[in-house]
Amino acid sequence: MTDVTRAKIGTPAVSATNVRKAFGSKEVLCDISLTINHGEVVSLIGPSGAGKSTMLRCLTLLDTFDAGRLCYGDIEVCAPSVGTDGSETKAEYSKKAMREARMRFGLVFQNFNLFPHFSVLRNVCDAPISVQKRNSQEVEAEARKILDELGLTEHADKVPCQLSGGQQQRVAIARALAMNPDVLYFDEATSALDPKLTADMHALIRRLAGEGMAIGIVTHEMGFAREVSDRITFLFDGQIVEEGPAQQVIDNPQDERTQRFLAHSVD
Amino acid sequence: MELQVMISMLATSYLVSLQIFAFTLLGAIPLGIPIALGRLSRFKPLAWLMTFYISIMRGTPLMLQMFVVFFVPYYVFGITNPPGFNLTACIIAFILNYAAYFAEIYRSGIQSMPRGQYEAAEVLGYSKPQTFFRIILPQGAKRILPTMGNEVITLVKDTSLAFSIGVAEMFTQGKGLVASQRNMIPFAICAIFYWVTCLLIEFLLRRIEKRLDYYHD
Repeated sequence: MTDVTRAKIGTPAVSATNVRKAFGSKEVLCDISLTINHGEVVSLIGPSGAGKSTMLRCLTLLDTFDAGRLCYGDIEVCAPSVGTDGSETKAEYSKKAMREARMRFGLVFQNFNLFPHFSVLRNVCDAPISVQKRNSQEVEAEARKILDELGLTEHADKVPCQLSGGQQQRVAIARALAMNPDVLYFDEATSALDPKLTADMHALIRRLAGEGMAIGIVTHEMGFAREVSDRITFLFDGQIVEEGPAQQVIDNPQDERTQRFLAHSVD
Repeated sequence: MELQVMISMLATSYLVSLQIFAFTLLGAIPLGIPIALGRLSRFKPLAWLMTFYISIMRGTPLMLQMFVVFFVPYYVFGITNPPGFNLTACIIAFILNYAAYFAEIYRSGIQSMPRGQYEAAEVLGYSKPQTFFRIILPQGAKRILPTMGNEVITLVKDTSLAFSIGVAEMFTQGKGLVASQRNMIPFAICAIFYWVTCLLIEFLLRRIEKRLDYYHD
């Protein structure tokens, strides 16, 4: 992590403003705004079907918002276009901005989606070399350093199917980190992990945030979200019903829907 | 005629069979890729065109397709076929036909890839061609290998269809010898040639499968 990134701590790494998304007539995201600053860990929680996954897919450009604005740092990925009558209409995406924005975030998939035919090292190195066109020796040296830090040194030449679930997840993290992202997203960060590995994951996420990375976590595991996050956003039926410091949202929810949801979730 | 003479005559024409076999693979294996991609294209007219092409190629006899390739230059364009054109026509027809079958096998391989692989590549910024050639194709190749092996072995024996436009491949020669020698031994020799060729291919395929066995998904 560079000092430049550290200097950015507290400034927005990603911000979505008044975004909407509907599938047919069903509104999945209604007028949501979410910002994650450099150095901050934000969790998006809520019951199944609340729109968490859709939000994450749109943030990672696997899907598109219908309306609203999405920025990664100074890159405006989509902005509301103004209709002839002055009213705001569909969000317009810029292809070029999308390409640039993809270099600013990484995503650790729930089931990792590693490339099974590549070695661990190649999984980590391939995109920086073939997409970012960086020098392959430099990339490899950096990748080995990342693998060392994640305790994967002796696994570099194995293929993903030879690794355990927890190890595979760390490879997925290494693959994302090798792209030097500003924002790292996790889709269900701990569902594959035992308590020891969950603790390790907690430490890793906090370390990355300390170095200036913005972390976005989608989860329904309240305990982990409470421990690791700076802020929690509670999503219900496509709306943010509660948002604030992690402890406050989990321990002392104000909204009646959050209260009910938390009462039912046993950690 | 002595057995040795028969064998050497058949061996010479076996080289023609091998030529058809090798050139067909060389042409049809790559040609199947654009056909499969066209078939899967979101640009509907192209997808329809490729579906139609595959349907015609699979739905009419290969022998008939050889006739078309062989006779069209003369009957439609009035071009006199140069000597030796029958082998060229045969190879062209084989390539066009086999590419259609390969395209369908490729399609099954491409469509069997989990969506997550495409999404991982997309998030990492891979372009569409990069995703195809680095992620999808190598994994797809492993998945379709057994089915491809089947087709390749069928091709070995399909080369015998070349007799219908007068290509002097092994089976054409064999039939000539059976007629002139009035015994069935040339057929038996042909059978052995075909079978040994297929054995060799099976062996090769097993080696490739083993080499690709370093991972599973």
